[in-house]
Amino acid sequence: MEHTQPKLASVEKQNLIEIQQLVKTFSNAAGEFTALRGIDLSFQEGEFVAVIGKSGSGKSTLLNMFTGIDHPTSGKVLVGGVDIYAMSESKRSLWRGRNLGIVFQFFQLLPMLNLLENVMLPMDYVGMYEVNERPKRAMELLRMVGLEEQAQKLPRAVSTGQQQSAAIARALSTDAPIIVADEPTGNLDSRSASHIIDLFTELSDRGKTIVMVTHDPSMTKRTSRTVVISDGVIVNETIAQALPLLSQSLMKELSAKVEKLHFQPGETIIRSNESVEKFFMIAKGDVDVVLHGRGKDDLVISQLGMNDFFGEMELLRGGKSIASVRAGSERPVELLALPREDFNWLMQESPLTEKAIGDIVQKRLGEKKQADRRKRNRLFGRK
Amino acid sequence: MRPRWRKVFSDLIDNKARTLLVVFSIAVGVFAIGVLVGAYEIISTDMSVSYAANNPSNIEIRMSDFDEEFLHTLGNVEGVEDVEGRWVFGIRVRPLGSDEWTSLNVITIDNFEENKINLLSPVSGTAAPEKNQILLQKEIFEDFDVAPGDTIEFQLSDQTVKSIVVAGIVADSSTDAIDFLAPPLGYITPKTLRLFNEPEGNFNRLYATVGEGKDDEDHIKDVLSNIKDKVEKNDYMVWRAFNSKTHEHPLESTINAVLGILFALGVLILFLSSSLIANTLSALLNQHLRHIGVMKLIGGRDKLIFRMYIVLLFAFGVLSLVIAVPLGGQGAYALSEFMGTKIGFELLGYRIVPLAFIVQILIGILVPLAAGLVPVIKGSRVTVQKALSGDLAREADEGGEKKESRLESFQIRAVSVLADRGIRISRPLLVSLRNTFRQRNRLILTLFTLLMGGATFISVFNVRVSLTEYIQVVGNYFLADVTISFEKLYRINEVQQFAMDDPRVTAVEGWAFASAEILYDDDTVADNVDILAPPAESPLVNPLLVDGRWIAPTDKRKLAISESVYDSYPDLQAGDKIPLKILGREEIWEVVGIFKFIGMEGTIAYAPYEYIAKETNVVNQSASFRIVSDSHELEVQEELAKDLDAFFRDNGFQVSETSPGLSMLNEASESIDILITFLLIMAVLTAVVGAMGLAGTMSMNVLERTREIGIMRAVGATDFEIIRMVLVEGLLIGMISFVLSILVAFPFTYLLSWIVSSATFETPIAVVFTPVGYGIWLGLVILLSVLASVIPARGAARLTIREVLAYE
Repeated sequence: MEHTQPKLASVEKQNLIEIQQLVKTFSNAAGEFTALRGIDLSFQEGEFVAVIGKSGSGKSTLLNMFTGIDHPTSGKVLVGGVDIYAMSESKRSLWRGRNLGIVFQFFQLLPMLNLLENVMLPMDYVGMYEVNERPKRAMELLRMVGLEEQAQKLPRAVSTGQQQSAAIARALSTDAPIIVADEPTGNLDSRSASHIIDLFTELSDRGKTIVMVTHDPSMTKRTSRTVVISDGVIVNETIAQALPLLSQSLMKELSAKVEKLHFQPGETIIRSNESVEKFFMIAKGDVDVVLHGRGKDDLVISQLGMNDFFGEMELLRGGKSIASVRAGSERPVELLALPREDFNWLMQESPLTEKAIGDIVQKRLGEKKQADRRKRNRLFGRK
Repeated sequence: MRPRWRKVFSDLIDNKARTLLVVFSIAVGVFAIGVLVGAYEIISTDMSVSYAANNPSNIEIRMSDFDEEFLHTLGNVEGVEDVEGRWVFGIRVRPLGSDEWTSLNVITIDNFEENKINLLSPVSGTAAPEKNQILLQKEIFEDFDVAPGDTIEFQLSDQTVKSIVVAGIVADSSTDAIDFLAPPLGYITPKTLRLFNEPEGNFNRLYATVGEGKDDEDHIKDVLSNIKDKVEKNDYMVWRAFNSKTHEHPLESTINAVLGILFALGVLILFLSSSLIANTLSALLNQHLRHIGVMKLIGGRDKLIFRMYIVLLFAFGVLSLVIAVPLGGQGAYALSEFMGTKIGFELLGYRIVPLAFIVQILIGILVPLAAGLVPVIKGSRVTVQKALSGDLAREADEGGEKKESRLESFQIRAVSVLADRGIRISRPLLVSLRNTFRQRNRLILTLFTLLMGGATFISVFNVRVSLTEYIQVVGNYFLADVTISFEKLYRINEVQQFAMDDPRVTAVEGWAFASAEILYDDDTVADNVDILAPPAESPLVNPLLVDGRWIAPTDKRKLAISESVYDSYPDLQAGDKIPLKILGREEIWEVVGIFKFIGMEGTIAYAPYEYIAKETNVVNQSASFRIVSDSHELEVQEELAKDLDAFFRDNGFQVSETSPGLSMLNEASESIDILITFLLIMAVLTAVVGAMGLAGTMSMNVLERTREIGIMRAVGATDFEIIRMVLVEGLLIGMISFVLSILVAFPFTYLLSWIVSSATFETPIAVVFTPVGYGIWLGLVILLSVLASVIPARGAARLTIREVLAYE
């Protein structure tokens, strides 16, 4: 039996999936609807990427495009350098079986096959591995997802979490370099969901490229990258992460208003007692928030990392900067800066975000008071 | 239109394929019933009306030559209304330019304008031929193409070929009505006899009608007995005698039996098509569950939903009637016409049969309602939650943790046991295998439909062979290669000497005949019996005895008689004695044996030549000879018959008729084939319903599994894999039905054979099984399964994953 290791696996840290100027328009009786509006996107080997967006944002359409499930209206999809829409539907199925493992929200195991047989099915379809090797391999995969004992059961005889684990084992059966998951945890309780994300993380660590579509922003905490899609366009990931409560359209608008700033390690971004005119979001690197003492007696009261923000306190409360902010000593920092005027507009437009930022301001003020107390104690020798 | 009725309307037109499937399923059954009820009505009315309209003879006697004067005396026999004498002889005819001869019996009628018995109905041309003109019976046109005014060629027994003008075409539903094996007829005036080298002024057939009691069989038999008495007392020989009622076609009971079988098959088809409807409707209701849920959510009550779907069913019924009623009417008329042509009676014209019309409407409306009632009730009572959460029939594969059923556990275990023994079934094949058994009720209905079609189909072939085999058995009574009848008695050794001159002839036998009547104890006539008297040890009769023994040379007043004697003496056994009126005397004869024969041909008996010849004063003489040759092929027999005929004529013998031995059997087989054709048409119709059932099931299965097909596509299944999956499932259903058909065909064959043989031979026959029916059905079921699966399979392969998984 032919044992074909997909070519993709040998592509070294290159763009495994490359989407160029992708447009997808649906026509129905009500008229035309453009679900994807000229998307450029790429995924690299070993990445664990979350594609997030609200219902109807176009995330599943996007997934359908690079899994070869649906045809783009225009643009190109290259997977491992192969233009997948240059082949017939039937050939694309075979290609998909060998190169993509798909995990669905409703698991989509075939009800008439037991878990072991479900896992073996793709190997049969694409003719991978020796016939005698297939049951062993399927069993190994089921063992990996903790379903060894359930192998002979029909899907409906196991729990939903177990069904999704089996679906992941099936997605892995042909050793496809890319695993695509559409809302894989959407139908699971939090414990099962966490188990599934653990599995994805482990697979990503082993070099598989995982693209997971989800509408749940909390799922993005464990992914290496997040792609946010709104109304058919990709919005800035930092904005989406830093201000997740913004509406998709506000995120999109905000993406156009922010300015990218770069700082070298240790370089000061805000000085204390100076007026602050911008709201900053950290796109790369981290920053230290510092209270200045006498001489060398500076106190780092907090460290902020990727997708955190600062400057909000001064913009919301008025007054001068209560602490200095400088780039972390390890690596350069990339910031997205939003002028005061635009920040005020944003707070007006999104009361939820305003409240969330307000809460953070309160928290940070509390932290500062404690830090001030510690600093005074140190100064006056109190314990 | 109110929204709810708009929905019903759009349910009808939106899924055209499904609507057509349901409508055709109903239409097939309604059509079959329409054809059969219509044909039954038309045939049973028209057959007797058209038969009686031609004033059929109540009595026909085939006898030795007699003249006008004797005919006149017969007219004075008590109870006789009219008599006519006719001269009947056989020739062979062909259209000009054709090489193929067709047998024709020519009847001489004294006066075409004034004849009163067995009237002819003109079809085209003249109804009264002039000198050297001939009228032809309509049936002959199946064999060749001539029109009034055309000339045809005929061949006399001395091989002379002459020609004659066809003056007209007529229909004759009376003459030879009893004998559907008889050749077609031609009619001439006595003036034309010379052209055929036939004697003038003689008759060899007597036709008579009775004055009263025209439909009283016993009375007619009594009058016949009186005539025979007179005939025999005047030293004439009676070869055969028939009696029949005026208002009942002699073959009516046979036709009714055949129609009865066809009707039973029609009911079967209807039953099968209603199971098809039930199948389709429960799938439809299943697909509509969400609609039902939504309707209930917005306030639709059970009753309202029930009503909506009943109206939908009603609409299906009405649509099917639109197709089936006109076609059924045409079909009924076509079937009647076919039967009429084959059997020889005229139809009264195309008409709508009210009974068939009403039956069709009732069936077309009630059957879908009855078949769909259970699914509709089930569908309308479903709870909103259940309806909206998904369909009922699909397995709960999304959550729920339900244990496997026993069948599923068995399937899984079986695969695992096989795998342990090194027999691995690939998963795609497993999918097909397990899919087959998923919708068990649907599978059972489909299998039932296919099984019935298959079992009927196979049985028809078995019955056909059984009938043919039986004809062969009957052929054992006619083992001579050539039969020669002379106008008068010749010495047996004289004929032997002449015949043996031909090197092909190996043996010659002279037979004697006697006509007798079986009497009841009160001396009334029970039945006519033709007694054939071959030499007792003749090798030319190989009887199929059901009781007693065959005749022996020393037998006196002993005979072996055919099974149809049971009609008069149901408890008769070998060794019993019966009263017989023979040669004008009442005697008591012993029945030494009872044998099987074609009941329709009347009762026949065998007695030894040695005794009958003595009693009839024809010792060592005979008018009928059986000749055995070195070859028993029909062609050789025909050649020999022709040569002997010429040879005897050349040597001054008065030859009446020469016929090859197998010709009669061939004719009999041909008429059996007509019957078989009918049965086969019905079998094919059941097969078509079966195939429709399978096609419906496969498309419903595919429709319900589109999501799964999408999943298969997503994990790498190519077009080929998807098509194969559906085809294998279809083939598997076909094969299961085939295996079951083999089993069910056994009782079916016995039943069908019993019905058919009782109708045609009036006796049950030995059942023979042939692999032909099984083979053809196997081929057909494979073909039908592939055809029934290929369209849904191709449709399934064309589905894109997006369509079936419907993400957004």
